[in-house]
Amino acid sequence: MTKLSLLGILALGLVLAGCSGSSEKPTSDVEVMAFKGGYDIDFYQKAATEYVANHPGVKVTVDGDPRVWDKIRPRLVAGSPPSLMLPGWGFDQWAAAEEGQLTLLDTALATPAYGGKGTWGDTFEPKLLKLGQLDGKQYVLPFYFNVWGMWYDPGLFAKHGWTAPKTYDDLLALSAKIKAAGIAPITFQGKYPYYMLEGMLLPWVQDIGGMKALNDAQNLEPGAWKSPTMLKAVGMIVELRDKGYFETGAPGLSHTESQTDFLNGKAAMIPCGTWLDTEMKKTMPAGAQLQYMVTPAPAGSGDPTAVPIDIEPWMIPTDGKNHDGAIDFFKYMTSLDKAKQFVIEKSTLTAIKGSEKVNLPHSLEAPLAAFNGSKTQWSYELRYWYAVMETEIENALTQLVNGGTAAQFCDRCEAAADKIRKDNSVKKHKVSG
Amino acid sequence: MTQKGRGWFIAAFMAPATLIYGLLVVYPLLQSFAFSLFRWRGVSRKRTFLGLGNFTRLAGDDAFMKALHNNLVLLVVGGVATIALSVALAHGLQGNGRVARTLRGIILFPQIISLVVVAVLWMFLFNPDFGLLTSGMNAIGLGGWVHNWIGHQTTALGSVGVAFVWYAVGFYTMLFAAGIRALPAEVQEAAELDGAAGLRRFWNVTWPMLWSVKRVAIVHFTIAVMNVFALVFLMTRGGPDRATETLLTYLYESAFTHSEFGYATAIAVVNFIVVMALAGGIMFWFRRNPEGARA
Repeated sequence: MTKLSLLGILALGLVLAGCSGSSEKPTSDVEVMAFKGGYDIDFYQKAATEYVANHPGVKVTVDGDPRVWDKIRPRLVAGSPPSLMLPGWGFDQWAAAEEGQLTLLDTALATPAYGGKGTWGDTFEPKLLKLGQLDGKQYVLPFYFNVWGMWYDPGLFAKHGWTAPKTYDDLLALSAKIKAAGIAPITFQGKYPYYMLEGMLLPWVQDIGGMKALNDAQNLEPGAWKSPTMLKAVGMIVELRDKGYFETGAPGLSHTESQTDFLNGKAAMIPCGTWLDTEMKKTMPAGAQLQYMVTPAPAGSGDPTAVPIDIEPWMIPTDGKNHDGAIDFFKYMTSLDKAKQFVIEKSTLTAIKGSEKVNLPHSLEAPLAAFNGSKTQWSYELRYWYAVMETEIENALTQLVNGGTAAQFCDRCEAAADKIRKDNSVKKHKVSG
Repeated sequence: MTQKGRGWFIAAFMAPATLIYGLLVVYPLLQSFAFSLFRWRGVSRKRTFLGLGNFTRLAGDDAFMKALHNNLVLLVVGGVATIALSVALAHGLQGNGRVARTLRGIILFPQIISLVVVAVLWMFLFNPDFGLLTSGMNAIGLGGWVHNWIGHQTTALGSVGVAFVWYAVGFYTMLFAAGIRALPAEVQEAAELDGAAGLRRFWNVTWPMLWSVKRVAIVHFTIAVMNVFALVFLMTRGGPDRATETLLTYLYESAFTHSEFGYATAIAVVNFIVVMALAGGIMFWFRRNPEGARA
């Protein structure tokens, strides 16, 4: 090969390098991809329009889909994810964090809040912020959050002279009356057993054995899933089942089917989170009302004021373009004014301190009072940490409501926990505090 | 054109199709075989080589065995039911009476409606509260037998199986109807003259002569059952407690719920091998044309 041709190849290489370099130029565009569920994406789109109006030269696009995680995954693998994302419940955020796909947000949280005083991190409810941490590092950020419990229709209760149960004994006594009136006392989302798990069974574990029993179960402490506390809590599901207090056919119902049965007065109570109102708004029959209650608690050493909560997290992919722009736009969305607007428009609580100080939608009053009045708030994180074990727990719960024994449930869950304990390829987590 | 020239000519014509097939079918297939050797969570390019680790794990995985078992139950029980019903209906279609004409009009109906609609329809039918099956049983005094059909482990697979057979039977009926129609009339006439009638004629004459149709039907049904997904997923999501889990619903769960894409691909590879083995076995079983032997 002549020197000339070598020079030519070198020159060509430089030109190509220059081309690829220019495509890596910092961009001011922010691409947002968000889960399009009950809360839609119109709020984020409006926020983008407002933000762009105040930031000339910046372009923010917001795209959404009910299965947005399916669109995000291949883009993460290809190394071209969006700048900012709310990937929804089908996304394994901890897998992404563990594999270095999510930007650490601790530095960003220490920067000033959008147009407010203090740091951005200070604007979040600390307990909710903590749910976005892995090994003490912030990978995901909460925006709205859910409070779990049980729901009833106050109109139906008033018509029959029933009062909302506070304790498990109240629940049993009331269920007998409801059944006698020809209504199923409780329905549940049988195809998705985690509703019953997070709305009934796990709150009861906390009520009976306190946070230690619950944390031990989530931390996979040997024997925690077959402890006397767990056995007693599971026994309560068995008792409700054997007394015929669950709606016939509920194990085969989806969330929408069971929630529709509840709203149509076929069943008097249902376990669910605070999104219920928004989710069912379009199909709610005239006159139906929704009222939240903390899951009626059995006697025990736990905190009867405790409430289960969870967050729907936002994140900034490592390979996404324009990190600063994405952070700034998300700062704007989580500013107090926007968060207040979200509470009003979408009937949900947000993780931003003070955002609840608005004319709250009726369905949120009781959950907020429960949240504010609770000494303990906890979150069921095992579901996201160990997906294979969660599936087994849910299957065991299905077996239970269909006639299985409490011991069978506990044995299956303990065996699943044991499998995870022994599997070195699965990263282990601990509930903090 | 010379012999060599003709070779090039044929190759030139075959090249585009071969290239497209190789690129869009063979290459992804080989790639998926490669994925099955890794632990891959599907959120980044990070993969850990496990060798045959995913396959040895499958061998000890109760959920996988349950799924495979369910597929085989659907294949054998559903297959016998579908073929028997299809052949019976195909016979019914042969005449020119009103019944045959009506049957011809509606038999393919389940095939032309979307599988989603089929699933929803059967979920309504099986609903223990207001389903047609429940009210029907109540009406004839069998109310005590009413059951949570798709919500209980004992009846869920049977219920999904019924829906699948209902969906599939129209297609196989048309297949057998065409097969019966194509049989030489003189053989049937000869059988009739020899005094063979009814079931006897069917078993000794018609059924053996449907050899090639049977082979196509059984291979096709096997592939359909081993790859059943949408109907099961929509009706039960593989539940309750894995009672209706099939290979593909378990594959879906492994990939999209458990983020175990390598493991899910291993399930796909096993499914591919099982389907190929079953189809090969059936082809071998039906390798000899009984008509050919007679000739």
